[in-house]
Amino acid sequence: MPNYELIQQDGLETSLLEVSMGPHHPSTHGVFRMDVKLDGETVVDLKPVFGYLHRNHEKLAEAMSYLASMPFTDRLDYFNSMTNNWAYALAAEQLIEIEIPERAEYLRVIMSELTRLVNHVSLVGFFVNDLGALGTPLLYAFREREKILDLFEQASGARMMCNYFRFGGLRCDVPEGWLDRTREVVDRFPKFLDEYEKLLCENEIILSRTQGVGNLSKELAINAGITGPMLRASGVNYDIRKVDNYGIYDRFKFRVPYSKGKVGDCYDRFMVRMLEMRESIEILKQALDGIEAGPIMGNAGKVFKPAKAEAYGRVEAPKGELGFYLVADGTTQPYRYRVRPPSFINLTVLQDMCIGQQVADAVIILGSIDIVLGEVDR
Amino acid sequence: MNWELIGDILLATVPLLVIFPSMFALTTWVERKALARIQNRIGPNKVGVPLTPYGGNLSLFGLGQPAADGIKMLFKENIVPTGADRLFHLLAPILSLIPAMLVLCFLPLEFPWLNGEQNSVKAFMLDGAVIFFFAITGLNTLAVFMAGWASRNKYSLLGGMRAIAQMVSYEIPLVLSAVVVVMIVGSLNAAEIAEAQAGWNWYVFQPWGLAAFVIFFIAALAETNRSPFDLPEAESEIIAGYFTEYSGFKFALFFLGEYIAMFAISGLAVTLFLGAGGGPGVEALPWLKVIWFLAKVCILIGVMIWLRGTLPRLRVDQLMGFAWKFLLPLSILNIFIAGFAWHAKKANEGTAVSVIVWVAALIILYAAAKGLDHVNRAKVKPRTYQYGE
Amino acid sequence: MSLLGGGIFKGMAVTLRNFVGSYFDKERLTTKEYAWRTDDKLPERAGDYPKEEAEQLSDTTTVTHYSRNFPMLLHDEGEPMDTVRCVACQICERECPPQCIYIEKSKDKMERGGNKAQFYPATFDIDVSVCMSCQICVEVCPFDAIVMNSQFELSTPDRFGGLLLRRDDLLKSNDYYHKIHPEEAAARDKRIADEKAAKEAKKKAAEEAKKKAAEAKAKAEAEAKAKEEAESAEKPAEAPAPTHTDAKKEDNGE
Ligand code: SF4
Ligand code: SF4
Repeated sequence: MPNYELIQQDGLETSLLEVSMGPHHPSTHGVFRMDVKLDGETVVDLKPVFGYLHRNHEKLAEAMSYLASMPFTDRLDYFNSMTNNWAYALAAEQLIEIEIPERAEYLRVIMSELTRLVNHVSLVGFFVNDLGALGTPLLYAFREREKILDLFEQASGARMMCNYFRFGGLRCDVPEGWLDRTREVVDRFPKFLDEYEKLLCENEIILSRTQGVGNLSKELAINAGITGPMLRASGVNYDIRKVDNYGIYDRFKFRVPYSKGKVGDCYDRFMVRMLEMRESIEILKQALDGIEAGPIMGNAGKVFKPAKAEAYGRVEAPKGELGFYLVADGTTQPYRYRVRPPSFINLTVLQDMCIGQQVADAVIILGSIDIVLGEVDR
Repeated sequence: MNWELIGDILLATVPLLVIFPSMFALTTWVERKALARIQNRIGPNKVGVPLTPYGGNLSLFGLGQPAADGIKMLFKENIVPTGADRLFHLLAPILSLIPAMLVLCFLPLEFPWLNGEQNSVKAFMLDGAVIFFFAITGLNTLAVFMAGWASRNKYSLLGGMRAIAQMVSYEIPLVLSAVVVVMIVGSLNAAEIAEAQAGWNWYVFQPWGLAAFVIFFIAALAETNRSPFDLPEAESEIIAGYFTEYSGFKFALFFLGEYIAMFAISGLAVTLFLGAGGGPGVEALPWLKVIWFLAKVCILIGVMIWLRGTLPRLRVDQLMGFAWKFLLPLSILNIFIAGFAWHAKKANEGTAVSVIVWVAALIILYAAAKGLDHVNRAKVKPRTYQYGE
Repeated sequence: MSLLGGGIFKGMAVTLRNFVGSYFDKERLTTKEYAWRTDDKLPERAGDYPKEEAEQLSDTTTVTHYSRNFPMLLHDEGEPMDTVRCVACQICERECPPQCIYIEKSKDKMERGGNKAQFYPATFDIDVSVCMSCQICVEVCPFDAIVMNSQFELSTPDRFGGLLLRRDDLLKSNDYYHKIHPEEAAARDKRIADEKAAKEAKKKAAEEAKKKAAEAKAKAEAEAKAKEEAESAEKPAEAPAPTHTDAKKEDNGE
């Protein structure tokens, strides 16, 4: 960084260039703003500004019956409505005694792993798009995502806002033949991943653009409460599917990829997601083999009215730990409803990662965090 | 009044002014179609000939799209930001188009329908054609920075500054790789360069020619702001770079200028390395020369589109590093190799030695490139990951 | 030692394969081309959009048999308003998360399909610019009166009135329901029939029991009443009905 005082001594006036990137910017992934101070092309300071998409989600939920909040959780991270549903259902299911049927548990795993595929595959697409690739990888990703969204539509009636999980099970069973179609999609997915890896993982430009960019140390990641692939990219072996074994995850054999180094950069975050998709496919195959016919709804009554209690339910959403904290006061509405959004908490380290990098890097660092503004602002 | 001269001038320039802009229109359609197919989309498929006598819409694979786009551009509102420098804001797109159009006439395109002493008319027979080409395309930088500055927009300014750095740097490998051919032919005249390559003697088949062609093509991508060097207009970073604040007709002019510059520089690459208008059947039918020339230009444009559909873009410092630490040393080395190889080949015409020289030169160039790449990107390599159970 | 620029060439091979593949491989080109027919004419104004065709579109592949969009009110065979299933119990109005249903109960009761006379909705409006297609109303309705439509061509030049679907817009026959969601409708009809059969069997049993012991009948009645009461007690607190001017102004920000 040049010494500004020296420049000014020469009688020249100089100052940093302040650029407000967003809220209308092609690569801020929604209405997000970065107030960037630039020295030439180098980022000297960066301030994330958000809240443009605040929808009062938590407060609204406190004036609604428990079930009525379920469709609103779809809108948090609109890429992953299934895992959002699950996290909320997990929290609510702790408030009352409820048995979840076997088939529902299997379908929950299948849905959430399909969601992970959808999320990671499009995140990688968006990320490479931020690198400047004119959308080719993104459109390949969307092509595959389309097939999974079709499955979601067949199961739940909607492609993105699925609203499929219920306290104690699922809203409805999957239609006939759905499992076969899912198996077809799952079996074909590795072929696509091979192609995707060939297109991206060895590309010299991507390698040199992403390696050593946006370093996040293990310590900082843990201290800042980072979760999900971003934490694993910094070399921490932590996955709530393994830690909590919620649902029936203890029945499946799968591995959790994480970085070898102590510092994670954009390349690690990108690769960890690529590898995670392969593991999701493994889980899906096992789940599709294990699923049997049966009921899909537990013994829950029509009206959900828990006694006074508190509960925190969390899942490993594709973006990190998604948790719902509920305080019940004995009525049909929650007394307090709180979301722990992974995107928002992962976003807190943006400034630390961006300072000293180039403008172009700031954009891809933001891309590698994987945020969805619906979840950040709630 | 010298009517004959005026007629000559018209006959020589009008084809240029017709062929290239119509090629531009077609290229925008081809580019959209090809990119769409690369991305597994369909691309423009609706606009064709509207209101045919049958009452419907004849869609013709969306071939009407360029016309529709052009009309749309013409009728769009011309927006100049408050505080912008109105004069330069207006001048910049014009200034970016003029040099691009101007250099077209240095290309050795021969239109055989006119005769005089020669059987054809070239727009501009100039001994220093290659030099002039570079001199005039260099003006483009000025236009780009003018646009960046006059818009009074921070993104535009960033784009403009990037453009200056990039275009100035890449001019050097561009010229140095062209120098090889000039040196071998011993002339700066485009027509003479074309003639020297007659009969499959294309320089791209020589090791030094191949290296020079690759360097030239890469530098040309950077000169014309094509992907992966489209930093001055990097959409994901600085919106649209220097033409962020341009709309309507001015934007169309920029667009036109950019594509014409692409044609011009591809035309020069064809002239220097790909045998200009040479190809099968040109001895018998001289007018095939024009066809071959344009076909080769189209192939180069096709590769540019293909690259655009595949690659992400470089970062600013990597871009500069690539020019100064990779292309520049390589092109200087290439000049020496070309000299040696040429003389060695001359001295041993037709013997096995010339083949050995050919292979050795290629190996040296490849090894040098590989070494430079290794030095420049020492730390960058794929990684492996561990798994937790 | 890898080839210089090998990664880039590999990537280019992939894009080339996709370029060629998109002409031959259905797996690659998933987009469907919406063909113009020669007699197609674009509507002059948005309001002129061919509505009947839009309703038939659910037979085409653009809408699957599973998709849901906005709710509709079911009626059985016959005049829509004579056979409407909704009894204006207003449960859905209360449970709708964004509060976009507005119901007014009729003053008089109406007999339908040989059942006991019940109320019917005098007004039943759904503001589809607010509705978020969540299907909660369908789930809570005890009378199978409201189900999801899959009609998606709702564009209208009038963004207030046009997007407020009135009772008569919402009324759709059960046949239509069978057409757009065959599996779901069949399952629902089967369930209704089963329930009805069970009820009849119960009624029969009850009648037989009545002959035997009058107390048993009284008890059964009391039980039914208790159940009804419990149900109404469990209903969540009354939420304010959406006033239409408000609902209309709200923008669905998604
Ligand atoms: S679908 Fe949901 S939002 Fe729409 S009317 Fe029914 S309950 Fe309300
Ligand atoms: S819950 Fe069903 S019966 Fe009751 S008002 Fe709504 S649609 Fe009508």
